[in-house]
Amino acid sequence: MILTPNILARLVAIVIAGVVLQLSFFSQVALFHVSPDVLPALVVVLGLLGGSLTGAVCGFWVGFLLDCLLIAPLGGASLVLLSAGYLAGAFRERFEIHSALVPPLLCMGLTLFAELGFGAVELMLGVDAPISGLVVRDMLLKSIFAFFAGWAIYAGVRRALRPALVEEPMARRGRRPTALGA
Amino acid sequence: MYRKQVRRRRAVLALLIVGSFILLTATYGQGSNGVQRGVSTIFSPLQDVADRALKPARDLVNWFDETFDAKGENERLHDELQVARKQAVGAKTALAENAQLRKLVGLDKSGAIPSGYEPVTGRVIARSPTVWFADVTIDVGSGEGVEVDDPVVNGDGLVGKVAAVTGGSARVTLIADHSSAVSAKIVPSGTQGVMKPSVGDPEDLILDFLDSEKRVGKGQSVVTSGWRGEVVESDYPPNLPIGEVVEASLKQQEAQQQVHVRPYADLRDLDLVQILTGGSRG
Repeated sequence: MILTPNILARLVAIVIAGVVLQLSFFSQVALFHVSPDVLPALVVVLGLLGGSLTGAVCGFWVGFLLDCLLIAPLGGASLVLLSAGYLAGAFRERFEIHSALVPPLLCMGLTLFAELGFGAVELMLGVDAPISGLVVRDMLLKSIFAFFAGWAIYAGVRRALRPALVEEPMARRGRRPTALGA
Repeated sequence: MYRKQVRRRRAVLALLIVGSFILLTATYGQGSNGVQRGVSTIFSPLQDVADRALKPARDLVNWFDETFDAKGENERLHDELQVARKQAVGAKTALAENAQLRKLVGLDKSGAIPSGYEPVTGRVIARSPTVWFADVTIDVGSGEGVEVDDPVVNGDGLVGKVAAVTGGSARVTLIADHSSAVSAKIVPSGTQGVMKPSVGDPEDLILDFLDSEKRVGKGQSVVTSGWRGEVVESDYPPNLPIGEVVEASLKQQEAQQQVHVRPYADLRDLDLVQILTGGSRG
């Protein structure tokens, strides 16, 4: 990813929009009694498109903003999401994405990882109440939602960051030649 | 160059991880801090606008979730409906029984049950599991005056006769049983014959040993003849309706001296029956 001030501004906008959307929309809706969590998927997509460093940095700031707006102890969400972003970026740096299914599947897998990570952080910080088995269902459903959300997020973020993507085929961005060759 | 990049990447990653732990350690246990208050102040108008703008979309998604919930409730209501339906079926069964009992009463009043017999009403409580539809068990026995060889009828016609009896139950051999043979006659012609079963098909009885000189037509009724000799007599009283001739080809009548009869009583679906106790026997 070629980072220019314009692209940086877009990244900041994507991160803020993602967190605000999560808090104002996704956290307040319920499908099968579970609220979708799109932030891990967003961080995964940023990692896939921008690499491990971009993924980790975006993950950190998404988590930071989230903790700030939720008035939660800072650092917990950052730690988890930067890991997810880094892993997604590392995957992108090592493997080619040959199938359109890879981003949503990675979103699903790393969302599960992130949810487990959030749980681990919570446990690390101390959980006094007994834990219900429903948390497992919650995590699994969130991962499944992330699979579907991953399609849309990947397409949208890719479109927003298209000028910065070095591997974006030129032919797709170019105009279709006319009969006069103009 | 690549190594430098990798080193820088790792350094940033380590910095972020360490930074996260520092933040976590520093802010854990605090209600809120200056950074959070500042960020909240900046973002709260944006959140407020987003919250209002996205409310219709939220409502829409939540409507879907509630619809799924309603589906679950619908299933619960379905279960309740099934219970109610069972109760309704029970009520219908009671009505059907009532109709059967009325038929039996009608049979009594029509004079089909000959004088001297005391009808005892019983319910079929068991059936033969074989395809032969040979016998059923009823819930009345010797305690109610039922004896072996008592004829059994239902509202439609002859069913069979009692083959065995206990204090509170009796086994009825149906007219479709392979051992059954009922002396019968065609009305109004009076042609005599013996009604035998067509094994395996309770819908088809054969009136055999007919007088080949007399023609039997399709649709004619068959009743018990109730003959009585000097030493032996029929187990069945005369004129109990048995069935209707459904197949009476000339060739069959001349060559085999038989016609096919469909019993009036539905031998596959017996519920309430009357046992004609007493009678002239003995």
